Amino acid sequence: MAKIYTGRDGSLLLDGTTLVKVASWSLQGEMETLESTTLGDDQKTFVPGLQSFSGSASLLYYSDDANRNDASTLLRKIVKTSGVSASDTAELTLRLSDGNVNKDMKFTVYITSVSIGASVGEISKADINFQVTGAPTSVTI
Amino acid sequence: MAFPSLVPTSRSFDAGEYPIKNFKSQSGVEIRVLYGSQRTGMKLELSYENITDGQAQAFIDHYDEVNGSYGTFAIPSITKNGWTGASSTLDASGGNAWRYEGAPQITSVKPGRSTVQVQLVGVL
Repeated sequence: MAKIYTGRDGSLLLDGTTLVKVASWSLQGEMETLESTTLGDDQKTFVPGLQSFSGSASLLYYSDDANRNDASTLLRKIVKTSGVSASDTAELTLRLSDGNVNKDMKFTVYITSVSIGASVGEISKADINFQVTGAPTSVTI
Repeated sequence: MAFPSLVPTSRSFDAGEYPIKNFKSQSGVEIRVLYGSQRTGMKLELSYENITDGQAQAFIDHYDEVNGSYGTFAIPSITKNGWTGASSTLDASGGNAWRYEGAPQITSVKPGRSTVQVQLVGVL
């Protein structure tokens, strides 16, 4: 059946668990190109180079009844008293769902920046940026 | 095994110089003596960017085959691709006879892809 996906179908999972109160997520993918043009060519030619992926997400700073705070979990990947180590990765799954069919992109990422604040009359939100390390873990999008 | 038959990404040719000796007197008068009728020291710098590692290996294999800068060899016409002047213009004075000036330099760019720089000297 035809379907137009909207924000209602989107979700973000951290280490396999769906994060609550996600306002948005986005992903950018790039591939470098290596020029292979040789003398005598009239047009440039290229071969594939390295790929990279990065993205962002916006979460409400929210604690549920069980005191679970997903934004806090991600914030503490970078906002910490000790230095960030190579093991401070997170497994993020960016998902669009169609009923029981999940279309996922799963990555191992480093959180590279966070932005959070508090203003009168506004909900506190945490905006994070992430950089994917290595190849996507799985892709069913 | 012949010099790898690949079209280079870039090519730089130094036409060399005639064997000349300059004498300058104390008064500033310059005397030049010509010792030969052919240019010497022609140089050809070739760059092969983002080629496969197998193609890059062929340069090292050929370098070994001619014993480095000892052996003389001809370069394939494909090396002069893009040159619309006379092909002989880019030859050594003695014809199509070149030797390695030094070992080829290979830079790995990404898995399976390398860039090779080759410097050749023309031989009379």
